Amino acid sequence: MERIIRSKLTWAAVAELLILLVCLIIRPDFFSISYQPQNGVLYGSLIDILNRSAEITIIAMGMTLVIATGGTDLSVGASVAVAGALALRLMRWDIYAYPTPGDWSITPFPLVILASLVVCALMGAFNGFLVSRLKIQPIIATLILMVAGRGIAQIITTGKQFTILYSPYKFISQGSLLFLPAPIVIMAVVVAAVALFTRKTAFGLFVESVGVNPSASRVSGLNSKRVVLLVYTLTAFLAGISGLIYSSRIMSNDSNNAGKDYELDAILSVVIGGTSMSGGKFNLAGTVMGSIIIRTIITFVYYFSIAAEATMAFKALIVAVVIVLQSEPVRARLAKRSQMRTAMKGGDVRA
Amino acid sequence: MRDIILSMKGIEIAFPGVKALNKVDFSLAKGEVHALLGENGAGKSTLIKCLTGVNHKDAGTIVYKGKEINPSSPQEAIELGISTVFQEINLCQNLSVSENIFIGRQPMRAGRVFWKEINRRASEILERFDVHIDVTRPLQHYSTAIQQIVSIARAVDIKADVLILDEPTSSLDENEVERLFGVVRELKRAGMGIIFITHFLDQVFEISDRITVLRNGNLVGEYAADEITKLELVTAMIGKDMIKIFDLKPPTVAEGADVMLAADRLGAPGAIDEISLTVKKGEMIRFAGLLGSGRTETAQLLFGVVKPTHGQMTLKGKPTVVKSPSDAIGKNMAFCPEDRKRDGIIGDLTVRENIMLALQSRRGMLKPIPRQEQQELAEKYIKMLGIATPDAEKKVGELSGGNQQKVILARWMATDPEVLILDEPTRGIDVGAKAEIQRLTLELCANGVSVVFISSELEEVIRCSNRILIMRDGKKAGELDGPFGEHTQSDILKIIAGEGASA
Repeated sequence: MERIIRSKLTWAAVAELLILLVCLIIRPDFFSISYQPQNGVLYGSLIDILNRSAEITIIAMGMTLVIATGGTDLSVGASVAVAGALALRLMRWDIYAYPTPGDWSITPFPLVILASLVVCALMGAFNGFLVSRLKIQPIIATLILMVAGRGIAQIITTGKQFTILYSPYKFISQGSLLFLPAPIVIMAVVVAAVALFTRKTAFGLFVESVGVNPSASRVSGLNSKRVVLLVYTLTAFLAGISGLIYSSRIMSNDSNNAGKDYELDAILSVVIGGTSMSGGKFNLAGTVMGSIIIRTIITFVYYFSIAAEATMAFKALIVAVVIVLQSEPVRARLAKRSQMRTAMKGGDVRA
Repeated sequence: MRDIILSMKGIEIAFPGVKALNKVDFSLAKGEVHALLGENGAGKSTLIKCLTGVNHKDAGTIVYKGKEINPSSPQEAIELGISTVFQEINLCQNLSVSENIFIGRQPMRAGRVFWKEINRRASEILERFDVHIDVTRPLQHYSTAIQQIVSIARAVDIKADVLILDEPTSSLDENEVERLFGVVRELKRAGMGIIFITHFLDQVFEISDRITVLRNGNLVGEYAADEITKLELVTAMIGKDMIKIFDLKPPTVAEGADVMLAADRLGAPGAIDEISLTVKKGEMIRFAGLLGSGRTETAQLLFGVVKPTHGQMTLKGKPTVVKSPSDAIGKNMAFCPEDRKRDGIIGDLTVRENIMLALQSRRGMLKPIPRQEQQELAEKYIKMLGIATPDAEKKVGELSGGNQQKVILARWMATDPEVLILDEPTRGIDVGAKAEIQRLTLELCANGVSVVFISSELEEVIRCSNRILIMRDGKKAGELDGPFGEHTQSDILKIIAGEGASA
């Protein structure tokens, strides 16, 4: 019992359940899920929450590792914009010949995906280089691309907005796999892949080790520079995947708004999930929960037509509660109380 | 006759699953230095933490200046006049010396900080301890010893009748220790009661009046310092016969054993000019010399922590260049660094993870050690080295210093090295653990491992080595071959002081 109370993941889960409970009380049909045979996909608020949380969850997987090394990555939102911009530009290279969009792509589809992700990975490698080799503080290092990345996106698209009707691209966000919207499946695959990669290889241990004590890690034979380079590269790569999902949802590119505030939501997911900003031990399951909480709050606000202006304040409130519940002193106190209660049950029954 | 200022009686503290202190008595008189001794985990820190309000006692009484007290926080203890100076200095490195002494209680004049007064008073306080320094310079500018004294000065100036010195000398060299002891004697004359915790027995005899020994949370006894011998004291501390420890012999190296590691005028600018040495298979060589004489730098050079820029190194007869620690590990070398906190332990990771780390990094990221094997590895070394931990999943940062040191040793033993470099592996750990580490390294030698052992404690250096290299000012100043006799110690000292014949 004490262990459960002390776990940060528990509190994130409790918060999520509470929000859902409130939803259920106000709208009993909140949990209903229906099947739409014509699209072959399930519908419902819960499905929607998962679907819409995909972009942040995918980025937050990488962000968890970055934060575990003691860093942070502010440039993920910009990577989202670059991925979308590059994909659209590659598919609509022929915009001057055919101004009206149609169901085709001038560049082969696999190449579009590959190029977008590789360019994002390169941006991540640049971040990693600045942090690991040049020893620039992560916030400053990634601030460069946070600002410059959207500029790069603008250059790629020559400042234009492209639209497209190409169905394979549309499938990324609108398609369905295993009765689920494609983003949920993509998210599940990414989460599983990152979890396996960190826990079935020694990568996770190395990330934590570098995050706790870089100097001792080096003396123990770890190539900490390589570890740091790798986590930033991975994070930007994942941001690229998010970028493709995002731009597929709008079937367009939007260098200014794509991935806006994603870095903050991703960092928040990690923190709510119980990974410390000072680096070290990380918790991927917690991060997934954190991201879902954030999305639940936003859905809650939309669903109950609370004024959009209040979204931020509402989000802040819930996050504040979760973070306070997770803080060391509060958890210690609650654990102590439960300990006392258990002890009292043993001896004194009057209470 | 003795004026007792503090008396603790029947103190009991239990942590989940452990009785940390069991009916311990302790008393301190005015103008007395009272040493508190015991192995790691004996309960010294717990007793002190109980006195300073960090831990809360389950039973017993503390009487201070005739009144029963029950401090609930370190702040409260300080207000009562009980101050602690820790091994790790609790001051702000980037503030000036005088700011450090007066921070939080700056004298003010006309609503502004009265700098002139602060600086004047700070100099005055330090001069009392015969320290004449520019108090307006940042603290980091001064040596650890001076910083310790500043820390003491702050405590004393605030108001302290009882001063606790928790391992203050572990990172000081001999001159600095003398300087610190000068201050302690001065405070003693002024009638302060001083509790002194250390692992250095010589220092205990040098400065203490009385000695209290704890073992496994129990009081072993209280002794007058001039009525107990070192051997009796050690026996009291570890509770078993010490003869074995004093009986350690250097490893026997087979006639014509292969040279394992050789360095020929190896060096790097800013670290060490050049060092030449050879280590045979199964040989134990030791480095002696003062702090900063180049011992640590040599070790770092051999292991690739600092990349050598000139000179040659051969490993098993083959010319080798060690580019980085990871490279060295790949070549079956191991290095237990001096600064345990900075270069050794990964505090937030578990004992198991810390033990397997170097082995894992040699295997590479993609070939993880199976969980089962990790567990066995951890348990094997916990048992072999007697690491005091409830299980392998405990965070290493929560263990005591000596046990952390053993974990790091385990990390390197797990890699099955052919060359093991140890930089002050016994610093800040108790006699029992020290002897244990000596014994273990000798055993490794017997199994054909070549050991390079760096230590500040001469007796330790002489007792079990085949050869001693003496460093001075970043150069090798001399080399002595064993077997060693009575004169060795003075020979070494002469070479360190620059009087002896250079090899």
